[in-house]
Amino acid sequence: MREFMNYITNAFYGATGWNEDNKYNELNATSRELIDFPLSRGLRLTLSSLATPHFATSYQLGSVGVVDGSISYLHSSIPLTHIAAQSDKIPLPALLRCYRRLHDLRSPGQQHYILDADPLSGLPPSPQSARALLGAASDAAVAGGALDGGDTDQDPGIHTHSLLYGRLYLPKSLLEGMIIKRFTQALQVQVRAVSEQSLRNGGTILGLVQYDKGKYGLEGLYSTDGGLLGFRGLYNFGGDASSSTCDPWTPTPGENSNNNNNNNNNNGHAQAGEKERIYGRFSVGGELYYGTLNKSGGMSLGARFATLPAHRGTPLTATLTINPLMGNINATYALLAREYCSLATRVDFNVYSYESEWAVGMELWSNRRPAGFLLGASPSNDFEPEPYPPKKKERSFQAKMEWRLDDPEPEPEPEPTPKTRKNDEYKGVLKARLDNNLRMGLLWEGRAKSLIFSIGTGIDLHKLGEPFRSLGLEVQYSS
Amino acid sequence: MAFNFNWSPLTADAGFYERARDLLTTALNKSPKPPIIVDDIFVTELNLGSVPPDLEILEIGDLAEDRFRGIFKMCYSGDAFLTLATRVQANPLNTYISAKPSFTSPEPLTASSSLTIPLQITLSEIKLSAFIILVFSKQKGLTIVFRNDPLESLKVSSTFDSIQFVRDYLQKTIEMKLRDLIMDELPAIIHRLSLQLWCPDQVPKEDEEAKEESDAAINPLATPPLDAVDAHGHRLDPAEISSLSLDGGPETQSLFSQKNLEKMDALASAHRTSSLLTPNILEVVFRAWAGQSDKPDATATPASTPNLHWTSSYQGSVHTYTFSDNSSQASGHASSRPTLVSMGSATTGLSLGSGRHSKAGRKKKMRVVNLRSKTAASEPVSEIGSTSSQAGDSHSEASTRTPMSEPVIPTTIREVPENDLAASQSKVRFRPPTDATTSARASESSGPRAAVPSVPVTAQPSRAASPQEHVYTRQPSMFPSSPAPQTSAQEMPPSYSSRVSQKAESTASIYADAKGQQQQFQQQQQQWGRAGPQPDMSSVILEQAWITKIAGEIARRVYDEKNRNPAFWEDSHQHDIPPPAYEPR
Repeated sequence: MREFMNYITNAFYGATGWNEDNKYNELNATSRELIDFPLSRGLRLTLSSLATPHFATSYQLGSVGVVDGSISYLHSSIPLTHIAAQSDKIPLPALLRCYRRLHDLRSPGQQHYILDADPLSGLPPSPQSARALLGAASDAAVAGGALDGGDTDQDPGIHTHSLLYGRLYLPKSLLEGMIIKRFTQALQVQVRAVSEQSLRNGGTILGLVQYDKGKYGLEGLYSTDGGLLGFRGLYNFGGDASSSTCDPWTPTPGENSNNNNNNNNNNGHAQAGEKERIYGRFSVGGELYYGTLNKSGGMSLGARFATLPAHRGTPLTATLTINPLMGNINATYALLAREYCSLATRVDFNVYSYESEWAVGMELWSNRRPAGFLLGASPSNDFEPEPYPPKKKERSFQAKMEWRLDDPEPEPEPEPTPKTRKNDEYKGVLKARLDNNLRMGLLWEGRAKSLIFSIGTGIDLHKLGEPFRSLGLEVQYSS
Repeated sequence: MAFNFNWSPLTADAGFYERARDLLTTALNKSPKPPIIVDDIFVTELNLGSVPPDLEILEIGDLAEDRFRGIFKMCYSGDAFLTLATRVQANPLNTYISAKPSFTSPEPLTASSSLTIPLQITLSEIKLSAFIILVFSKQKGLTIVFRNDPLESLKVSSTFDSIQFVRDYLQKTIEMKLRDLIMDELPAIIHRLSLQLWCPDQVPKEDEEAKEESDAAINPLATPPLDAVDAHGHRLDPAEISSLSLDGGPETQSLFSQKNLEKMDALASAHRTSSLLTPNILEVVFRAWAGQSDKPDATATPASTPNLHWTSSYQGSVHTYTFSDNSSQASGHASSRPTLVSMGSATTGLSLGSGRHSKAGRKKKMRVVNLRSKTAASEPVSEIGSTSSQAGDSHSEASTRTPMSEPVIPTTIREVPENDLAASQSKVRFRPPTDATTSARASESSGPRAAVPSVPVTAQPSRAASPQEHVYTRQPSMFPSSPAPQTSAQEMPPSYSSRVSQKAESTASIYADAKGQQQQFQQQQQQWGRAGPQPDMSSVILEQAWITKIAGEIARRVYDEKNRNPAFWEDSHQHDIPPPAYEPR
């Protein structure tokens, strides 16, 4: 489960039009989230609130043997009016979904967050559904700027927003702080700091400079711990990135007048047609680190192929990363098999030590009530039936009396609407993973009433006598 | 006399190596390992070799049934070897990431991927040459001290021998670790083992002993609590204290247990983060608990001891206890008067802190000035620390000069007046309330906290030792100079006279100073016993009013008494009549 503050931070990115996925260390985010999802441990309660559009608080109380907790505050200089923060309205896919769709490189302002929330494959979401999911489809300021027909970068105010975040873990007295400051449309700076007694020098600070030009994203970082310097870069090509209109900051004329998703995707379709069925985007990148104090370093190279949202077939993401210094090769493959099911695999191999690892992960969405889900049979077995409500109906009493058939039912509504309604009906998701040590992780996350639950357990199949390694329950409420 | 060392039977025992390997393996894996070691450490091979070490007796200092002390020379250049196997993480970035908080992790994609490498380290050709001092007593167990660095050479061979850099690094690191191990850890381990063997009852008792010792032994270090008492609550004689301080010199280090030092370190570092941790340090009264009085001090102290090495902590503790310097001073004087030798002993304790004192004293002067503007309610308590430490300050100056001939004294007095003024000003301000609290609470606080060693509120201290008088005669020099209105006018002439003629012991001044001394004792005691809560305003005002009255009364009575019977005063008073202020009510 994404923490509430993460969700708000993502909303901030959405509101300011920052594509947080266009960087190298998010290259294999999809498979990582599908396989390495964190299992909750112990009992954890979270109370959160977006008190004003600018201010959010979150209180957490946990108990893993000892009681601990945290208090966090967040301030955003841009009003976050376009998101639903109440836990009974919050779109679960936005909070829980692992499979990450590619974000359109060309309209970084409005689109990606909606796409993130949209679980549908292939088909573009209708603006209504997006609005229904997220409240207003796009932030008023951004939309206003766009709808005026002017370039969004003409208005500097939009891009100089900042976010402040602080969190104090209580018994540990660990203090976290983060500042995100947007300078220009393409430049963003993050500073994160941790203060804790047990750390050397009492804490560490990490500074990140992020530069996103759509076609490529660069990132430089410095950590006070060991004086680590880092540089990461990601370059996109193929698919939409290589089209003539790929310059993200010069919208096509058609877009200026109408800024909704439909239009964008129609555009995308048209381009894709021109491009002869290249529905995917390639990305390559690399990272380089050097610790100035401990004189150590590290690097890796990576490549990714991912289908574009316009792709009609099964969306998939494949990555390959290589660490030439350590001889590590890592390949992942993730796909959205059905709209309610994503799968991922990962293989690691080290050419020096011949160590290898594999892991598989999946997530299954359910639109049934959580209690039935939990008490019923294994969810994966009987998930197949009834993606739609049963269509056969009893003949009405009136019709029987008159010895005739019912009037023909009106045709079901066009595709998008039932699907979006179904989106709303998603009540929970089951995530599972298994690795080569036969360690299994199971996590169910879902909503009951206005609480969002997360129940997780780790199972070691090697020790079937006492298989449960960990057990956890997380309850989240936000208003 | 002959010793017979059996080396080969040790190795002949079939199960011995098995057991030793297991023991070593568990010992090595007990402590948390650095993140670079990703697997358990296994002792794969262990061989003590066939060559026994050469042992030569150089000197036997003490020999009895239950104790032994001797110096040995040991040489070893045998064929023993030890092989360890484990797996290490070869990616420095991986270990770097794993040890850091995730929030500020740079989150590398696969640059931190792990590469574990099996590592085998063989230690062989160990050459030792050491002078060993061995002390054994049935009560204290076996103590071994290496007089020199025993490790002469050692060959480290590992899987990475082909890589020059790694080999050198391993060789260096392991040699260093082994030196530390032999010099520091090994004696401790042997001592602990011997304790378990010979006197198992000593092991749990150690704490108690240390407690008692520190009760008695902290006192001599120029840092005795004013109410220096033994475990049974009897007040310690100042002479006793000074004698304690004599042998306390080299062992001062032991007064501050390693555990406490670590806790102090944790406390100091806690100030740099937002940690709310307040480690529980034994045998220490936290200033925060001792009342608001010491808040300014408490803020100043961490700054002066940011890094708790042994020395600074020692100074810090001196600093902490400065308010109690008067009595140590008293003891110093007491012993210093008759002989120069004991004077030296007294100053050793003091001189350590004296350099620091002068600095701290200067700072404190500022603070005193600041505090004067505060309400009377907070002042009585808040100035005690600074005042008495200043008193200690001026005293230490005075005490160092004491052995000189008397004529020098006036000059010293001329030198200190600044100090004296500041001290006396504050002193006067707090004195009446002191008295008030003393007398008012004498009944209440008769049973102070159990944790705080207490003096029964009686006249004992005043008659504890006659030498104290000498000290007290000196004090008037600061006392009468106080311009405060509360000091009764009647008291002035005698104290002045005492100042002029140092030897002439004007009873009033003795009385007053003895009283002051005692007040400080009790003040101290209450400060500890009260543990924080400030008396509310009304009671303070009441007390103050009552105090001024009592003070006047006392002074008057003293004066009368002295006038009536100047010659008899000292003796009769000291042995028969407790000072009125300390009469149990």
